[in-house]
Amino acid sequence: MLELLTDPVLLEAASNEHDVAVAEAWSEAIRVGAAALSVGLAALASGYAERQIGAAAVGAMAEDPSTFGRGLILTVLPETLVIFAIVVIFLV
Amino acid sequence: MTRLRPDAGAKGGGNPAYVNARIRSRRASLLDESDYRKLVRMGPDAISRYLEETEYEREMNELGARYRGVDLIEYALNANLSRHFQDLLDWSDGQLYDQLVRYLRKFDTWNIKTILRGIYTDTPRDEIEADLISAGEFTKRDLDRLLEAQSIDDVIERLSGTIYYDPLIDAYDEYEELNLLVPLENAVDRAMFEHMISGIDVETGPASRVLERHQQWTGSPAALFREFLAAEIDLLNVRNALRIAKSGSELDPSSYFIEGGRLFSKRELGLLTGDLDGLVATIRDSVYGEKLDDALAELEDAESLLEVEQAIDRALVEYGDLLGSRYPVSVCPIIAYVLAKELEVQNVIAIARGREAGLSEEEIREELVMP
Repeated sequence: MLELLTDPVLLEAASNEHDVAVAEAWSEAIRVGAAALSVGLAALASGYAERQIGAAAVGAMAEDPSTFGRGLILTVLPETLVIFAIVVIFLV
Repeated sequence: MTRLRPDAGAKGGGNPAYVNARIRSRRASLLDESDYRKLVRMGPDAISRYLEETEYEREMNELGARYRGVDLIEYALNANLSRHFQDLLDWSDGQLYDQLVRYLRKFDTWNIKTILRGIYTDTPRDEIEADLISAGEFTKRDLDRLLEAQSIDDVIERLSGTIYYDPLIDAYDEYEELNLLVPLENAVDRAMFEHMISGIDVETGPASRVLERHQQWTGSPAALFREFLAAEIDLLNVRNALRIAKSGSELDPSSYFIEGGRLFSKRELGLLTGDLDGLVATIRDSVYGEKLDDALAELEDAESLLEVEQAIDRALVEYGDLLGSRYPVSVCPIIAYVLAKELEVQNVIAIARGREAGLSEEEIREELVMP
Protein backbone atom coordinates (compact mmCIF):
# COMPACT_ATOMS: atom_id res chain seq x y z
CA MET A 1 0.00 0.00 0.00
CA LEU A 2 2.72 2.34 1.03
CA GLU A 3 4.58 1.37 -2.10
CA LEU A 4 1.68 2.47 -4.14
CA LEU A 5 1.63 5.94 -2.60
CA THR A 6 5.32 6.42 -3.17
CA ASP A 7 5.33 4.94 -6.66
CA PRO A 8 6.77 7.72 -8.82
CA VAL A 9 4.70 6.78 -11.85
CA LEU A 10 1.43 6.98 -9.92
CA LEU A 11 2.43 10.20 -8.24
CA GLU A 12 3.15 11.66 -11.63
CA ALA A 13 -0.32 10.67 -12.82
CA ALA A 14 -2.03 12.25 -9.81
CA SER A 15 -0.31 15.59 -10.26
CA ASN A 16 -1.09 15.41 -13.98
CA GLU A 17 -4.76 15.05 -13.16
CA HIS A 18 -4.50 18.11 -10.96
CA ASP A 19 -2.80 20.04 -13.71
CA VAL A 20 -5.46 19.01 -16.17
CA ALA A 21 -8.20 20.12 -13.78
CA VAL A 22 -6.52 23.50 -13.31
CA ALA A 23 -6.04 23.90 -17.04
CA GLU A 24 -9.66 23.02 -17.67
CA ALA A 25 -10.85 25.51 -15.09
CA TRP A 26 -8.74 28.16 -16.73
CA SER A 27 -9.97 27.44 -20.22
CA GLU A 28 -13.56 27.52 -18.99
CA ALA A 29 -12.90 30.88 -17.36
CA ILE A 30 -11.34 32.25 -20.51
CA ARG A 31 -14.24 31.01 -22.66
CA VAL A 32 -16.84 32.53 -20.38
CA GLY A 33 -14.83 35.75 -20.20
CA ALA A 34 -14.50 35.95 -23.98
CA ALA A 35 -18.22 35.38 -24.42
CA ALA A 36 -18.99 38.07 -21.86
CA LEU A 37 -16.59 40.44 -23.58
CA SER A 38 -18.10 39.81 -27.00
CA VAL A 39 -21.66 40.37 -25.78
CA GLY A 40 -20.56 43.48 -23.92
CA LEU A 41 -18.76 44.93 -26.92
CA ALA A 42 -21.69 44.12 -29.19
CA ALA A 43 -24.05 45.88 -26.79
CA LEU A 44 -21.80 48.93 -26.70
CA ALA A 45 -21.60 49.02 -30.48
CA SER A 46 -25.34 48.73 -30.91
CA GLY A 47 -25.85 51.44 -28.32
CA TYR A 48 -23.50 53.67 -30.31
CA ALA A 49 -25.34 52.90 -33.53
CA GLU A 50 -28.73 53.49 -31.95
CA ARG A 51 -27.69 56.87 -30.63
CA GLN A 52 -28.03 58.68 -33.96
CA ILE A 53 -30.94 56.59 -35.21
CA GLY A 54 -32.82 57.20 -32.00
CA ALA A 55 -32.20 60.95 -32.19
CA ALA A 56 -33.41 61.04 -35.79
CA ALA A 57 -36.44 58.88 -34.96
CA VAL A 58 -37.45 61.15 -32.11
CA GLY A 59 -37.04 64.12 -34.42
CA ALA A 60 -39.25 62.53 -37.05
CA MET A 61 -41.84 61.56 -34.45
CA ALA A 62 -41.94 65.09 -33.08
CA GLU A 63 -42.93 66.32 -36.55
CA ASP A 64 -45.25 63.45 -37.38
CA PRO A 65 -46.38 61.09 -34.60
CA SER A 66 -47.47 58.49 -37.16
CA THR A 67 -43.81 57.61 -37.74
CA PHE A 68 -43.62 56.04 -34.29
CA GLY A 69 -43.77 52.42 -35.48
CA ARG A 70 -41.20 52.79 -38.22
CA GLY A 71 -38.97 54.87 -36.00
CA LEU A 72 -39.05 52.24 -33.30
CA ILE A 73 -38.17 49.43 -35.71
CA LEU A 74 -35.30 51.35 -37.25
CA THR A 75 -34.03 52.34 -33.83
CA VAL A 76 -33.84 48.78 -32.55
CA LEU A 77 -32.34 47.31 -35.74
CA PRO A 78 -28.78 47.52 -34.41
CA GLU A 79 -30.02 45.46 -31.48
CA THR A 80 -29.53 42.43 -33.78
CA LEU A 81 -25.83 42.84 -33.06
CA VAL A 82 -26.47 41.86 -29.46
CA ILE A 83 -28.68 38.95 -30.49
CA PHE A 84 -25.91 37.56 -32.67
CA ALA A 85 -23.53 38.04 -29.81
CA ILE A 86 -25.83 35.98 -27.56
CA VAL A 87 -25.57 33.13 -30.07
CA VAL A 88 -21.85 33.19 -29.36
CA ILE A 89 -22.59 32.32 -25.73
CA PHE A 90 -24.13 29.01 -26.75
CA LEU A 91 -21.35 28.24 -29.20
CA VAL A 92 -18.52 28.50 -26.71
CA MET B 1 -26.41 89.93 -29.02
CA THR B 2 -27.10 87.57 -26.25
CA ARG B 3 -27.62 84.36 -28.05
CA LEU B 4 -24.20 83.70 -29.46
CA ARG B 5 -22.35 81.45 -27.09
CA PRO B 6 -18.92 82.24 -28.49
CA ASP B 7 -16.76 79.37 -29.57
CA ALA B 8 -17.19 77.77 -26.19
CA GLY B 9 -20.51 76.54 -27.52
CA ALA B 10 -18.80 74.64 -30.28
CA LYS B 11 -17.85 71.65 -28.19
CA GLY B 12 -18.98 68.38 -29.68
CA GLY B 13 -20.45 67.83 -33.09
CA GLY B 14 -23.99 68.73 -32.09
CA ASN B 15 -27.07 66.76 -33.01
CA PRO B 16 -27.40 66.89 -36.79
CA ALA B 17 -29.34 63.61 -36.92
CA TYR B 18 -32.18 64.98 -34.84
CA VAL B 19 -32.37 68.33 -36.58
CA ASN B 20 -32.13 66.72 -40.00
CA ALA B 21 -35.00 64.37 -39.30
CA ARG B 22 -37.15 67.31 -38.30
CA ILE B 23 -36.27 69.58 -41.19
CA ARG B 24 -36.77 66.80 -43.73
CA SER B 25 -40.32 66.54 -42.57
CA ARG B 26 -40.76 70.31 -42.75
CA ARG B 27 -39.15 70.49 -46.13
CA ALA B 28 -41.69 67.97 -47.39
CA SER B 29 -44.47 70.31 -46.36
CA LEU B 30 -43.18 73.21 -48.48
CA LEU B 31 -45.44 74.23 -51.33
CA ASP B 32 -44.85 72.35 -54.54
CA GLU B 33 -45.34 73.20 -58.16
CA SER B 34 -49.04 72.34 -58.23
CA ASP B 35 -49.60 74.66 -55.27
CA TYR B 36 -47.86 77.45 -57.16
CA ARG B 37 -49.94 76.75 -60.26
CA LYS B 38 -53.07 77.24 -58.19
CA LEU B 39 -51.73 80.30 -56.36
CA VAL B 40 -50.85 82.28 -59.50
CA ARG B 41 -54.47 82.05 -60.60
CA MET B 42 -55.85 83.39 -57.31
CA GLY B 43 -56.50 86.89 -56.06
CA PRO B 44 -55.01 88.09 -52.74
CA ASP B 45 -58.05 87.02 -50.70
CA ALA B 46 -58.13 83.57 -52.22
CA ILE B 47 -54.41 83.25 -51.56
CA SER B 48 -55.00 84.13 -47.89
CA ARG B 49 -57.68 81.49 -47.62
CA TYR B 50 -55.50 78.95 -49.36
CA LEU B 51 -52.61 79.65 -47.01
CA GLU B 52 -54.88 79.26 -44.00
CA GLU B 53 -55.16 75.61 -44.91
CA THR B 54 -51.42 75.05 -45.13
CA GLU B 55 -48.39 75.28 -42.94
CA TYR B 56 -49.07 79.03 -42.50
CA GLU B 57 -52.40 78.59 -40.71
CA ARG B 58 -51.16 79.60 -37.27
CA GLU B 59 -49.61 82.88 -38.36
CA MET B 60 -52.49 83.74 -40.68
CA ASN B 61 -54.90 83.38 -37.78
CA GLU B 62 -52.70 85.26 -35.32
CA LEU B 63 -52.21 88.24 -37.59
CA GLY B 64 -55.60 88.08 -39.30
CA ALA B 65 -57.14 90.52 -36.85
CA ARG B 66 -54.52 93.19 -37.40
CA TYR B 67 -53.82 93.13 -41.11
CA ARG B 68 -55.61 92.21 -44.24
CA GLY B 69 -55.00 91.52 -47.89
CA VAL B 70 -51.47 91.31 -49.16
CA ASP B 71 -50.05 92.87 -45.98
CA LEU B 72 -51.48 90.00 -43.99
CA ILE B 73 -49.88 87.49 -46.35
CA GLU B 74 -46.54 89.20 -46.18
CA TYR B 75 -46.41 89.56 -42.41
CA ALA B 76 -47.76 86.09 -41.77
CA LEU B 77 -45.20 84.53 -44.06
CA ASN B 78 -42.37 86.46 -42.47
CA ALA B 79 -43.58 85.49 -39.00
CA ASN B 80 -43.73 81.88 -40.07
CA LEU B 81 -40.18 82.12 -41.38
CA SER B 82 -39.01 83.52 -38.04
CA ARG B 83 -40.73 80.76 -36.13
CA HIS B 84 -39.21 77.98 -38.23
CA PHE B 85 -35.71 79.37 -38.08
CA GLN B 86 -35.97 79.98 -34.33
CA ASP B 87 -36.96 76.33 -34.04
CA LEU B 88 -33.78 75.33 -35.84
CA LEU B 89 -31.73 77.23 -33.28
CA ASP B 90 -33.72 75.80 -30.39
CA TRP B 91 -33.19 72.24 -31.53
CA SER B 92 -29.53 72.32 -32.35
CA ASP B 93 -26.56 72.39 -30.08
CA GLY B 94 -22.78 72.17 -30.09
CA GLN B 95 -21.02 72.84 -33.33
CA LEU B 96 -24.23 72.62 -35.32
CA TYR B 97 -25.74 75.46 -33.31
CA ASP B 98 -22.65 77.50 -33.87
CA GLN B 99 -22.79 76.99 -37.63
CA LEU B 100 -26.49 77.73 -37.86
CA VAL B 101 -26.36 80.87 -35.79
CA ARG B 102 -23.58 82.14 -37.99
CA TYR B 103 -25.64 81.46 -41.05
CA LEU B 104 -28.89 82.87 -39.70
CA ARG B 105 -27.12 86.10 -38.89
CA LYS B 106 -28.03 87.11 -42.38
CA PHE B 107 -31.44 87.93 -40.92
CA ASP B 108 -29.78 90.18 -38.38
CA THR B 109 -28.17 92.06 -41.21
CA TRP B 110 -31.53 92.21 -42.95
CA ASN B 111 -33.03 93.68 -39.79
CA ILE B 112 -30.25 96.21 -39.29
CA LYS B 113 -30.53 97.31 -42.90
CA THR B 114 -34.30 97.55 -42.64
CA ILE B 115 -34.06 99.71 -39.53
CA LEU B 116 -31.40 101.92 -41.11
CA ARG B 117 -33.51 102.37 -44.24
CA GLY B 118 -36.60 102.97 -42.16
CA ILE B 119 -34.95 105.72 -40.17
CA TYR B 120 -33.36 107.16 -43.30
CA THR B 121 -36.78 107.47 -44.94
CA ASP B 122 -38.61 108.53 -41.74
CA THR B 123 -40.87 105.50 -41.79
CA PRO B 124 -43.05 105.05 -38.69
CA ARG B 125 -41.80 102.51 -36.21
CA ASP B 126 -44.75 100.11 -36.66
CA GLU B 127 -44.10 99.78 -40.33
CA ILE B 128 -40.42 99.09 -39.81
CA GLU B 129 -41.22 96.56 -37.13
CA ALA B 130 -43.59 94.64 -39.38
CA ASP B 131 -40.80 94.12 -41.90
CA LEU B 132 -38.33 92.65 -39.44
CA ILE B 133 -37.63 88.95 -39.49
CA SER B 134 -36.59 87.85 -36.08
CA ALA B 135 -34.72 84.73 -37.02
CA GLY B 136 -31.14 85.54 -36.21
CA GLU B 137 -28.98 86.10 -33.22
CA PHE B 138 -30.78 89.25 -32.04
CA THR B 139 -33.57 88.66 -29.58
CA LYS B 140 -36.86 90.49 -29.62
CA ARG B 141 -35.52 92.81 -26.95
CA ASP B 142 -32.42 93.62 -28.96
CA LEU B 143 -34.58 94.51 -31.94
CA ASP B 144 -36.84 96.69 -29.81
CA ARG B 145 -33.83 98.55 -28.54
CA LEU B 146 -32.69 99.17 -32.11
CA LEU B 147 -36.18 100.29 -33.13
CA GLU B 148 -36.17 102.91 -30.40
CA ALA B 149 -33.22 104.64 -32.04
CA GLN B 150 -33.96 108.12 -33.37
CA SER B 151 -31.20 108.55 -35.89
CA ILE B 152 -28.69 106.57 -37.93
CA ASP B 153 -25.82 107.22 -35.53
CA ASP B 154 -28.09 106.27 -32.64
CA VAL B 155 -28.64 102.88 -34.29
CA ILE B 156 -24.92 102.45 -34.70
CA GLU B 157 -24.33 103.37 -31.05
CA ARG B 158 -26.89 100.81 -29.96
CA LEU B 159 -25.04 98.16 -31.94
CA SER B 160 -21.86 98.66 -29.96
CA GLY B 161 -20.49 95.38 -28.74
CA THR B 162 -21.65 93.50 -31.83
CA ILE B 163 -19.63 92.54 -34.84
CA TYR B 164 -21.30 95.31 -36.85
CA TYR B 165 -20.15 98.21 -34.72
CA ASP B 166 -16.59 98.74 -35.95
CA PRO B 167 -17.34 98.34 -39.67
CA LEU B 168 -20.28 100.73 -39.34
CA ILE B 169 -18.16 103.34 -37.59
CA ASP B 170 -15.61 103.02 -40.38
CA ALA B 171 -18.27 103.45 -43.04
CA TYR B 172 -20.01 106.33 -41.30
CA ASP B 173 -17.81 109.06 -42.78
CA GLU B 174 -18.52 107.88 -46.29
CA TYR B 175 -22.22 107.84 -45.49
CA GLU B 176 -22.09 111.42 -44.29
CA GLU B 177 -20.14 112.46 -47.35
CA LEU B 178 -22.45 110.82 -49.90
CA ASN B 179 -25.62 110.89 -47.84
CA LEU B 180 -26.30 107.40 -49.21
CA LEU B 181 -26.96 104.28 -47.18
CA VAL B 182 -24.97 102.04 -49.50
CA PRO B 183 -21.66 102.23 -47.57
CA LEU B 184 -23.40 101.35 -44.31
CA GLU B 185 -25.32 98.49 -45.86
CA ASN B 186 -22.17 97.08 -47.40
CA ALA B 187 -20.37 97.37 -44.09
CA VAL B 188 -23.11 95.31 -42.40
CA ASP B 189 -23.08 92.64 -45.11
CA ARG B 190 -19.35 92.37 -45.15
CA ALA B 191 -19.11 92.09 -41.37
CA MET B 192 -21.61 89.26 -41.45
CA PHE B 193 -19.97 87.26 -44.22
CA GLU B 194 -16.48 87.71 -42.95
CA HIS B 195 -17.46 86.54 -39.48
CA MET B 196 -19.44 83.68 -40.89
CA ILE B 197 -16.34 82.31 -42.51
CA SER B 198 -13.61 83.22 -40.10
CA GLY B 199 -14.90 81.08 -37.27
CA ILE B 200 -15.34 77.84 -39.14
CA ASP B 201 -12.78 75.32 -38.16
CA VAL B 202 -11.84 73.38 -41.24
CA GLU B 203 -8.41 72.55 -39.90
CA THR B 204 -9.70 69.24 -38.60
CA GLY B 205 -10.48 67.72 -41.95
CA PRO B 206 -8.34 66.97 -44.96
CA ALA B 207 -9.82 70.15 -46.33
CA SER B 208 -7.38 72.53 -44.75
CA ARG B 209 -5.35 72.69 -47.93
CA VAL B 210 -5.07 76.05 -49.56
CA LEU B 211 -8.09 76.46 -51.74
CA GLU B 212 -7.88 77.22 -55.37
CA ARG B 213 -10.40 78.24 -57.88
CA HIS B 214 -11.69 74.88 -59.05
CA GLN B 215 -10.92 72.90 -56.03
CA GLN B 216 -13.68 71.34 -54.02
CA TRP B 217 -13.62 71.05 -50.29
CA THR B 218 -14.18 67.53 -49.17
CA GLY B 219 -14.25 65.75 -45.89
CA SER B 220 -15.65 67.05 -42.68
CA PRO B 221 -19.10 68.66 -42.40
CA ALA B 222 -17.44 71.89 -41.35
CA ALA B 223 -15.51 71.83 -44.60
CA LEU B 224 -18.70 71.26 -46.58
CA PHE B 225 -20.33 74.13 -44.76
CA ARG B 226 -17.36 76.28 -45.65
CA GLU B 227 -17.71 75.19 -49.26
CA PHE B 228 -21.34 76.16 -49.31
CA LEU B 229 -20.61 79.58 -47.86
CA ALA B 230 -17.89 80.12 -50.44
CA ALA B 231 -20.44 79.33 -53.13
CA GLU B 232 -22.90 81.77 -51.63
CA ILE B 233 -20.28 84.51 -51.48
CA ASP B 234 -19.12 83.79 -55.04
CA LEU B 235 -22.64 83.98 -56.36
CA LEU B 236 -23.25 87.19 -54.45
CA ASN B 237 -20.09 88.67 -55.96
CA VAL B 238 -21.19 87.46 -59.39
CA ARG B 239 -24.58 89.06 -58.93
CA ASN B 240 -23.10 92.37 -57.82
CA ALA B 241 -20.53 92.33 -60.59
CA LEU B 242 -23.16 91.61 -63.22
CA ARG B 243 -25.38 94.35 -61.90
CA ILE B 244 -22.57 96.88 -61.97
CA ALA B 245 -21.37 95.72 -65.39
CA LYS B 246 -24.87 95.82 -66.77
CA SER B 247 -25.69 99.24 -65.43
CA GLY B 248 -22.45 100.58 -66.87
CA SER B 249 -22.04 102.78 -63.82
CA GLU B 250 -18.79 104.08 -62.53
CA LEU B 251 -19.17 102.49 -59.09
CA ASP B 252 -16.05 100.92 -57.76
CA PRO B 253 -16.82 97.19 -57.73
CA SER B 254 -14.14 96.39 -55.22
CA SER B 255 -16.06 98.26 -52.53
CA TYR B 256 -18.83 95.69 -52.99
CA PHE B 257 -16.47 92.77 -52.98
CA ILE B 258 -16.91 90.21 -50.23
CA GLU B 259 -13.89 88.18 -49.22
CA GLY B 260 -14.09 84.46 -48.76
CA GLY B 261 -15.23 83.18 -52.12
CA ARG B 262 -12.97 81.24 -54.39
CA LEU B 263 -13.98 82.42 -57.83
CA PHE B 264 -12.54 85.89 -57.92
CA SER B 265 -9.96 87.89 -56.12
CA LYS B 266 -10.74 91.51 -55.47
CA ARG B 267 -8.42 92.62 -58.25
CA GLU B 268 -9.81 90.18 -60.81
CA LEU B 269 -13.33 91.26 -60.12
CA GLY B 270 -12.33 94.89 -60.50
CA LEU B 271 -10.75 94.17 -63.88
CA LEU B 272 -13.65 92.10 -65.14
CA THR B 273 -16.46 94.38 -64.15
CA GLY B 274 -15.95 96.71 -67.08
CA ASP B 275 -16.09 93.75 -69.40
CA LEU B 276 -19.39 91.86 -69.41
CA ASP B 277 -18.21 89.22 -71.90
CA GLY B 278 -15.10 88.48 -69.90
CA LEU B 279 -17.13 88.19 -66.74
CA VAL B 280 -19.58 85.77 -68.34
CA ALA B 281 -16.70 83.69 -69.71
CA THR B 282 -15.08 83.48 -66.28
CA ILE B 283 -18.31 82.37 -64.65
CA ARG B 284 -18.88 79.82 -67.38
CA ASP B 285 -15.43 78.30 -66.78
CA SER B 286 -16.02 77.99 -63.05
CA VAL B 287 -17.61 75.20 -61.02
CA TYR B 288 -20.91 77.05 -61.27
CA GLY B 289 -20.78 77.25 -65.06
CA GLU B 290 -22.86 74.16 -65.70
CA LYS B 291 -25.69 75.31 -63.48
CA LEU B 292 -25.78 78.83 -64.84
CA ASP B 293 -25.10 77.96 -68.46
CA ASP B 294 -28.61 78.42 -69.82
CA ALA B 295 -29.15 81.60 -67.89
CA LEU B 296 -25.86 83.03 -69.07
CA ALA B 297 -26.80 82.31 -72.68
CA GLU B 298 -30.02 84.14 -72.01
CA LEU B 299 -28.08 87.06 -70.58
CA GLU B 300 -25.99 87.31 -73.72
CA ASP B 301 -29.06 87.22 -75.94
CA ALA B 302 -31.79 88.98 -74.08
CA GLU B 303 -29.67 91.29 -71.99
CA SER B 304 -31.94 90.64 -69.04
CA LEU B 305 -30.45 90.19 -65.61
CA LEU B 306 -33.59 88.73 -64.07
CA GLU B 307 -33.04 85.26 -65.56
CA VAL B 308 -29.49 85.17 -64.30
CA GLU B 309 -30.41 86.30 -60.83
CA GLN B 310 -33.08 83.62 -60.62
CA ALA B 311 -30.66 81.04 -61.97
CA ILE B 312 -28.21 82.12 -59.28
CA ASP B 313 -30.82 81.59 -56.56
CA ARG B 314 -31.70 78.21 -57.99
CA ALA B 315 -28.06 77.22 -58.36
CA LEU B 316 -27.49 77.99 -54.71
CA VAL B 317 -30.36 75.78 -53.53
CA GLU B 318 -29.21 72.99 -55.82
CA TYR B 319 -25.68 73.36 -54.57
CA GLY B 320 -26.92 73.08 -51.00
CA ASP B 321 -28.87 69.96 -51.88
CA LEU B 322 -25.86 68.47 -53.62
CA LEU B 323 -23.68 69.01 -50.58
CA GLY B 324 -26.50 67.70 -48.42
CA SER B 325 -26.68 64.46 -50.32
CA ARG B 326 -22.95 64.06 -50.20
CA TYR B 327 -22.99 64.37 -46.43
CA PRO B 328 -26.58 63.81 -45.30
CA VAL B 329 -26.10 64.09 -41.56
CA SER B 330 -24.52 67.52 -41.44
CA VAL B 331 -25.40 71.17 -41.49
CA CYS B 332 -25.75 71.20 -45.30
CA PRO B 333 -29.31 69.84 -45.70
CA ILE B 334 -30.39 72.27 -42.99
CA ILE B 335 -28.94 75.20 -44.91
CA ALA B 336 -30.60 73.92 -48.08
CA TYR B 337 -33.90 73.91 -46.19
CA VAL B 338 -33.34 77.47 -44.97
CA LEU B 339 -32.80 78.58 -48.56
CA ALA B 340 -35.78 76.67 -49.89
CA LYS B 341 -38.03 78.12 -47.22
CA GLU B 342 -36.78 81.62 -47.92
CA LEU B 343 -37.47 81.16 -51.62
CA GLU B 344 -40.96 79.89 -50.92
CA VAL B 345 -41.80 82.93 -48.81
CA GLN B 346 -40.37 85.21 -51.50
CA ASN B 347 -42.39 83.43 -54.18
CA VAL B 348 -45.71 83.57 -52.37
CA ILE B 349 -45.23 87.25 -51.55
CA ALA B 350 -44.32 87.90 -55.19
CA ILE B 351 -47.49 86.14 -56.33
CA ALA B 352 -49.67 88.07 -53.89
CA ARG B 353 -48.09 91.42 -54.75
CA GLY B 354 -48.20 90.61 -58.45
CA ARG B 355 -51.87 89.70 -58.37
CA GLU B 356 -52.62 92.83 -56.39
CA ALA B 357 -50.86 94.92 -59.01
CA GLY B 358 -52.84 93.17 -61.73
CA LEU B 359 -49.94 91.35 -63.42
CA SER B 360 -50.84 88.47 -65.68
CA GLU B 361 -50.20 84.87 -64.71
CA GLU B 362 -47.36 84.68 -67.20
CA GLU B 363 -45.64 87.75 -65.83
CA ILE B 364 -45.91 86.46 -62.28
CA ARG B 365 -44.60 83.06 -63.25
CA GLU B 366 -41.51 84.69 -64.65
CA GLU B 367 -40.82 86.27 -61.28
CA LEU B 368 -40.92 82.99 -59.39
CA VAL B 369 -37.81 81.06 -58.50
CA MET B 370 -38.68 77.40 -58.52
CA PRO B 371 -36.14 75.26 -56.75
